[in-house]
Amino acid sequence: MSEPTITPDLMRISWGPQHPMSGQTRILLDVDGEKVHKIIADLGFTHRGIEKILENRSFLQGIVPIERMVMIDTANIGLGYVMAIEESLGIEVPERAHWIRSLVCELSRISSHLYAFGLQAESTGYFPAVFLWTTTDRTVLLDLMEELTGARFSYNFFLPGGVMKDLTEGFEDRVIEGVQYLRKRFEDYWTAMIENIVFEARCNDVAVLKPEDAIRLGATGPVLRGSGISIDVRKDEPYAAYGDLDFEVITESACDSMARTKVRYREIGQSLNMMEQVANEIPGGPIRTRFPLFTRSKPGEVYSRVETGRGEMGIHMFTAVGMNPYRVKINSPTLRNMYVFERLCELDEMLMADVPVVINSIDPWYLDSDR
Amino acid sequence: MNVNILASIWNYATEFLAVNAKPLLQIYVLPGLIFILGFAIIAVWFERKFLARAMLRVGPYYCGKRSGVLQVFADFLKLFMKEIIVPKDMNFLFFAAMPVLVSTVPALALILIPFDANWVLWDIGSLGLPMFFAIAGIAPLIPIFAGWASNNKYGFIGAFRVAYMYISAEIPLVICGAAVAIMAGSFDLVEIVQAQRNMWFAVPQFIGFVIFFLGVIIESERTPFDIPVAEVELVLGWRTEYSGILFGFTMMAEYVMFQAWTLLFITLYLGGFNGPVLGFLGVTGSHIFWMLAKFAFMVVLIVLIRTVYPRLRLDQMLDLGWKYLTPLALLNLALVLGMKMLGVY
Amino acid sequence: MSEAELVEAITTSHAEQIESAEVLRSQRVSVVVKREVFLEVAEALRDEYGFKTPSAAGGLDYPKEERMQMIYYLFNPDSKITLTLRVDLPRDDPTLPTLTGVWEAMSFHEREAHEMFGIEFEGHPNMIPLLMPPDWRGGYPLRKDFKGEAGEE
Repeated sequence: MSEPTITPDLMRISWGPQHPMSGQTRILLDVDGEKVHKIIADLGFTHRGIEKILENRSFLQGIVPIERMVMIDTANIGLGYVMAIEESLGIEVPERAHWIRSLVCELSRISSHLYAFGLQAESTGYFPAVFLWTTTDRTVLLDLMEELTGARFSYNFFLPGGVMKDLTEGFEDRVIEGVQYLRKRFEDYWTAMIENIVFEARCNDVAVLKPEDAIRLGATGPVLRGSGISIDVRKDEPYAAYGDLDFEVITESACDSMARTKVRYREIGQSLNMMEQVANEIPGGPIRTRFPLFTRSKPGEVYSRVETGRGEMGIHMFTAVGMNPYRVKINSPTLRNMYVFERLCELDEMLMADVPVVINSIDPWYLDSDR
Repeated sequence: MNVNILASIWNYATEFLAVNAKPLLQIYVLPGLIFILGFAIIAVWFERKFLARAMLRVGPYYCGKRSGVLQVFADFLKLFMKEIIVPKDMNFLFFAAMPVLVSTVPALALILIPFDANWVLWDIGSLGLPMFFAIAGIAPLIPIFAGWASNNKYGFIGAFRVAYMYISAEIPLVICGAAVAIMAGSFDLVEIVQAQRNMWFAVPQFIGFVIFFLGVIIESERTPFDIPVAEVELVLGWRTEYSGILFGFTMMAEYVMFQAWTLLFITLYLGGFNGPVLGFLGVTGSHIFWMLAKFAFMVVLIVLIRTVYPRLRLDQMLDLGWKYLTPLALLNLALVLGMKMLGVY
Repeated sequence: MSEAELVEAITTSHAEQIESAEVLRSQRVSVVVKREVFLEVAEALRDEYGFKTPSAAGGLDYPKEERMQMIYYLFNPDSKITLTLRVDLPRDDPTLPTLTGVWEAMSFHEREAHEMFGIEFEGHPNMIPLLMPPDWRGGYPLRKDFKGEAGEE
């Protein structure tokens, strides 16, 4: 990026890409002492051209690269793509496959939220306990995932027309065991982190994003719900088994960084409830309809939306006559939220020390925004 | 002939040791070299193990029979061998002198601490407490120079955070120190300790006790007040540009500062070296023992705080310093003066 | 307002300005607008039809038909309808007035469309590359005739 001009008397600091906390991006901060006057997000360090790659792969092959977008939340990303294929080729999905998809998506969402939650603890200072706790407790989810799909990350488990494998023997019981263990641990997180007096001081009233600003700037996911707006794709246009599952859309009215963190915390609780429901009520039946390996598509277009851990992801798939998608447009949630982050320092006063807190309350995943 | 020379050397040596044994021991062992270096090593090891436990990890494991204690030596050795990278267009002497100074100046304050009425390395009588504050007052200047000399934006901001922080913390600390001196009726650290023979000053001056405890954490730049070296936004603050053994010195400075202030805290509020005499150690020995025992307790407490709390923001810390600690320190001083006038103390 | 009513309302009130409007499926509406009056329709969508949230934007290339399409994804937080606002552009002159005046957050997406498709946005406040390197000279990667070779500096 050619560097934009800087106002005199300000100092420009590069926060990243070589930085203990920044991740794979560069954030330019124009600071006057401690106060941040301008934030410029320089994205693109991990641009791999996934949209172009998908144009050159057959429908089935595309499942693998698209899951590389968000390693921690692969199931939700993959589901969006698979749903787009199904809709454009007109493939039916059996009921049981829908329920298994919901289960895997919720497992994936919890592990994504856990990571964000731990990073939020890390961003307020060397507050290591919670980050390592979340990483340790994620193992429970990853073990379940490994048993079901054979992989801990990047499962490639969803196929057009269903899922790869059925639940293993006694898997439902292990899901319930894991849910109960995690519920107990989350009480610890609440007391150790959310109710921690210093953590409260760091996150309360930091980077307030008013509801009208959130809508105007196109925020999505926990950022939007943290501003008190109840928008969740799972509720608005239910996909997979979300129409049958009983859950609420979590919103917080405080609109600050703490609200966004609390939204994630309480969404994990909802996800655990959903996992329990799936384990108790999953219907029987086939898990997959036949999907021909070599498919020829007709011209058309499909726009599928899914709720990932970071917010709404849209996949707009254009098909022509052929074996590949003509074009796949991925509307990533992080790109939308990064614009909100750029504007947040103008909406609310922000200090140097708030930058890591705010950016982790946005929960960016730069491979997602860069594609 | 030869026997005579050897005998005279022997005589000289015994005479020298008879006079100088205690100062030598003090310089090299107790408040001196071994205590400072040994503490840095043990504290680093303890902190790593303790934090690892809190994080559900094991910590250093392989070097040194599963306790991992040799890992710290290995790390120090590694720091010694590493290349020192000096930024371009830099006054090397100025740049390199700062980490050395930053770890030695607080050590000067350390030698004022009495471990027993007869075990003070630098006994300057009633100048003790003012001298401690004088030396400790120089110490924060050095990180500021170091950050300036680094010619680095992170270092620059970190240096100014140091300046803000120390000024807001040192004023309540000095006021609290004055209150203790008034209550003890002396600036002499030994007399302050002896005045606490019946009751530790932590009890009558509870406000001052709390303020000074926070002040110790602030002065030694430890969580939740490690604002100048906040790695999530400033990489390592004023230490960013230092590498190799120079970085090792800046690390050690944190522990030396911590040591000096904690020992002063014990001297002023926790009864110093007072404690029941343990028969097998003798009077001096048991005094030293109690001093070290209290010190160890404080170390555990402060490391525990690190595992529990994240870092405060600079403005919150300044609020704490100016809006709460300073007025409370004045209140504490007023209470002490009142007690003194009423003759309670 | 349901999808059919929305399309009905748009086609009647903006009959001159749009080329077509249709319901793709439930909660998906597509509106193709003429390039010259594109900003007016966008403002009307925001103010009258409640499409307050900008979701994304991206281009689409049809080399055989010698045209490109710029697609804006808009979301109505009340009726939860996603509307795709499309503008057809000739391939040899892909210029378009910027939409950042209507939805500020389209800035990122327009920058991306600019570097990926070569679509020019007139009046964009900050047209610098978003994802591609600043010294990229290899053409527009998401166009269909992109050969995958980095150009000379």
